[in-house]
Order: sequence, then structure tokens, then C-alpha cells
Amino acid sequence: MENNSSEVLLMKGNEAIAHAAIRCGCDGYFGYPITPQSEILETLAVEKPWETTGMVVLQAESEVASINMIYGGGGCGKRVMTSSSSPGVALMQEGIAYMAGAEIPGLIVNVQRGGPGLGTIQPSQGDYFQATRGGGNGDYYVLVLAPASVQEMADFVDLSFELSFKYRIPAMILSDGVIGQVMEKVVLPPFKPRRTEEEILRECPWASTGRKGGRPVNVITSLELKPEAMEKHNLHLQEKYQLIREREVRYEETLTDDADYLIVAFGSAARIAQKAISIMRAEGIRVGLLRPITLWPFPTQRISELAGRVKGIMSFEINAGQMVEDVCLAVEGRTPVTHYGKMGGIVPTPDELIQALTEKLKIEK
Amino acid sequence: MENIVSPENLVYQKPTLLNDTDMHYCPGCSHGVVHKLIAEVIEEMGMEEKAIGVSPVGCAVFAYKYIDIDWQEAAHGRAPAIATAIKRLWPDRLVFTYQGDGDLACIGTAETIHALNRGENIAIIFINNAIYGMTGGQMAPTTLMGMKTATCPYGRQADLHGYPLKITELAAQLEGTCYVTRQSVHSVAAIRKAKRAIRQAFENSVNRRGSSLVEIVSTCSSGWKKTPVEANAWMEEHMFDFYHVGDLKTVES
Repeated sequence: MENNSSEVLLMKGNEAIAHAAIRCGCDGYFGYPITPQSEILETLAVEKPWETTGMVVLQAESEVASINMIYGGGGCGKRVMTSSSSPGVALMQEGIAYMAGAEIPGLIVNVQRGGPGLGTIQPSQGDYFQATRGGGNGDYYVLVLAPASVQEMADFVDLSFELSFKYRIPAMILSDGVIGQVMEKVVLPPFKPRRTEEEILRECPWASTGRKGGRPVNVITSLELKPEAMEKHNLHLQEKYQLIREREVRYEETLTDDADYLIVAFGSAARIAQKAISIMRAEGIRVGLLRPITLWPFPTQRISELAGRVKGIMSFEINAGQMVEDVCLAVEGRTPVTHYGKMGGIVPTPDELIQALTEKLKIEK
Repeated sequence: MENIVSPENLVYQKPTLLNDTDMHYCPGCSHGVVHKLIAEVIEEMGMEEKAIGVSPVGCAVFAYKYIDIDWQEAAHGRAPAIATAIKRLWPDRLVFTYQGDGDLACIGTAETIHALNRGENIAIIFINNAIYGMTGGQMAPTTLMGMKTATCPYGRQADLHGYPLKITELAAQLEGTCYVTRQSVHSVAAIRKAKRAIRQAFENSVNRRGSSLVEIVSTCSSGWKKTPVEANAWMEEHMFDFYHVGDLKTVES
């Protein structure tokens, strides 16, 4: 575990999350078992980081308790995380809203499965709306990162913590059952020690750590009875969200320079899209891919630029069409936008995507 | 008068951690007394710089405005989960929750029972006034049989509302608890005993001896629609019959 080499390992996305957490100075994990992400807690239990880095690992009584443990841990300045899958993340929405209101950093990993309700245990991207629209009550966003590989599962843990603490905003890794369960090559991130008490007190002067040195009281709360004060706090949050929109948009492009058609896809759908593109390119059809890495903030501006250059855009998602709304908002009607996806835990194949793309965007071969 | 105010004559003073913010509590409410005891105990233990409180949803939601320590304001019922994380991540801190009956024994029952059963090294101060005060006097999980509230206006009946929950008796059965007690603050003697109980619970948190639960049987003169004096008398007459005051569990170290 202390190995900092660039050794290439083979593991599941869920396992990579757990190993990355231990290596990036995470102070605590609090979670509740649910398929298809239970390997995260199981891996941590096997690794026993409390004996090495001092990282706390606790199986909570529910997802409701887990997210409130993240509230408590983040509220006292610690790098803490939880993970769950769709129905469990639905249960966490109250706590996430409280974290957003109280400006508490922390990481929530959602390894999505099919819904609604108890749904299936197979992969889905049906929680896009929930993740990118806040999900709980009130006007807020969480910063959402969508990994498309086991490597990104590992890399996004530290990135999430860094962004989360930088802006005092909850961060979410929105993964799915494919990326969580697939085994791939991964190079684990370099070892980074947990922050010392002095570092936490310096970097998180707002946290409820105890009034060391008799400093003014720190209160972590999202409550304000006076509407004028509540409005002021909301305006502050909105300013922060605007800053994040300006600074933290991340995306990746594949063969967009000469593309006649554009696919927008994230996470495992982007992997399927990459295969479809290589098949179609071999047939002489110029298709490109824009893969949003941050789902919020969304790469609106880049999609707007590309919209002026292509004959049509398909939002390809493993759901009934959710991100397509953000694509439409970016395109503003300047080129046809369509959606293809499947629901209920069914993952489309590259061939099905190619067929849908050809039909819906009327591509002549 | 002024010349007798000298250190050697001092018999009582407001705890320094209790600030001068006007309390929102109603006249006769037990919360103010318990807040004062908590402030006194933290000060006497010298834990001003290491105490972290978790306040509930309910009348005590603003506890953080009155006692000058670090606080976190919890979602309804979730204080024990929040305190669990704080104490595990900062093991040398004094960590306690302050919760009412609706918060602790209704919406937060799971968090309460499991935090106590895990033996989290936290202290839970539990204000039981058998009614929802903040929302205007509705039925609580601890409302007595026959007691009238806004949502059981003809009195609590078993067939309609079920039975009052003695969660403190449940807590005493759990392996993780080291100290479970029921106190009150309606008389000077009771206040002194309650203070000793809070001190014991807080020391248990600091010394990591397991979970402590201190229930304070309390008045809610507004919710009970009584004067403060009547409320105290009503509590002695009715509440103590069902919620027996005294230690339920003390584990010697």
C-alpha cells in the first residue's frame, strides 16, 4: 500500500475507489451496503486503513446516517466520504442539501443502478437529473464528476476532495454499475498523508473543531430564520456556483475537429460511444465525441461552439434522456439534437448506438 | 449594596460560556436551566476549547446561539450520526448532542439506538417534555396516555396513537451504553443531581468509556398550556409516575 510506484494493477472500479481513498489522505469513510458498490466498504474493511493511515471506516445503520456522518465529519474539517447506489443516494438527499446549505465539503460516490424505486441492480445513468439538479430541497448544486474508467475512479477521489474543500461544496462521483464492477488496469495515485491537526485548523478556519486558542465560535448550520439573511446566504451560494461554472468545467473530446456529427456521452456510455465512433470512422462517417467529465458544471460553452460546426448531435445516455436537456440548452436550436438510450439496467451495444445514430440523425452511408 | 460584591462573597455567577443573547425559550421552560448546566460543566471541566455540541431540530435548534462553544446544527433526528463522526475523527474532543423527544425518540430513533449500541463515545442530553414544542404542541413519542395535544386533542389513546416510548429504558439494555440516567430540573436539588449526571456523561465522552444518555424530564408550559408553576406541579404529578427519575445504568470502569 505504501508503494508509490507506477505499478499497473488490475481491479474493479469500486476497489480502485477504496484504495485511492486510503492513498489520498481520506480521514473517514461511512457507508451502508448496497449493490453494485459494496466492494468499496468491503475493500476498506480488508485493508484496515485505521491501522496504517488512521482513516476511520464505519458501516453505518443506514444511508441516512451515513450522509449525516459525512456532514459531521466534513463540518469538523475532515476529508470524509460515503458511497452508495441509486436508491441509497436518494435517501441521502436531505443530508446533501444540508451540506450544501452549511457549505460542508465531502465526497459522495453514486454507483448508479436502474430505477425508479428499488429498480434493478444492473447499470444505469438514471440519476443524472438528481445529481446535477441538486436532488434535495432548495437552490443548490453539487460538483459532479463522471468517471469513464477504473483509472478515473481512482483519480477522481483526490480531485473531488480538492475541489470540495476549495469551494466548500459537496462533491459527487457519479459512476455506474459498469464502471464500478468492470476490472481494468489502473495505476493508483501517489501516497499523500492525512492532514495534521495544525493543517486542518489552518486550512479550515470555519470548521467546528473546538475553539482552540479561544477563537470565535464556529457553528455549522444551514438555518436562518430571517428571510433577508437567508437571501443573502443564497446569493453567496449562487456567486460561488457561478465561479465554479467559470473555472471548473472539465471535458474530453475525441475526433471532434472534423466531425460532421457529434455524440455527447459520459461515463460508461462514453466508452460505448468511443467504440461506435471507431467503427463509423472506418466506414468514412465523421463522428466525434464530447465527453463531459464534470456533469455540473456542464460544458455548455464548448457544446455551443461545436453546435455551429456539426450537422447533428446525439446525447447518448443509459437512461430515458436526461443530459439531452442540458445539450439542448447549450445548442439553442442551432442544429438537430436527439437522444438515444436504454433503461432498466440494459446497456446498449455500440451497434445499437450506430443504428440509432444513423436513423435519428438521417446519416447516409 | 455594591461594596459587598467581592470575590470572597461570591456564591453564584453566570457561567462565562453562557452568553448574553436573549433566549427564545418560553418562561418556565427547562431548556434554559439545562443550557446553564452544560455551560457550567464544560467550564468546570476546562473543555471550552475541546467541546463540540450538536444541536437538534426542535426548540433547542438554536442552542448554538447561547453556549459559546463550537456547534453543528443537525437535520431532524440525525444528531447522533453527526456526533459519531465528529468523535471518531477527533477522539480527544468532548462531543455531545442535545435533543428533544421528537428528534431523539421519533424521527431519529434509528440513529439514537445505533449510536448508543455501537458504544460511540458521545454524551446525549435528552430533553423529554412529552410534546413537540417548536411546532406548536403536537403529540410526541413520549406523550403520556390520555394527555391532550394539538394532534391528539381528545387525549392520547392506544388504539389511535400507540403508546409512549420509554427510549431511555431501551438504551439501558444496550451493550454500548456505560451510563443511562433520568433526571429533572424542577427543583434546586434536582438541578444539582442533573448537573452531576451531565458531568458524568461528559467525562465518559472525554475518557472514551462508551455512550451516555441523560434524559431530563422537562416542562413545556406553553405546549402544556400551563403557567410555569402549574407545569412543574403537573410534571411531578403525572410525568414522574411514568418516567421514573434516577440512574438506570452505571457501568463502573
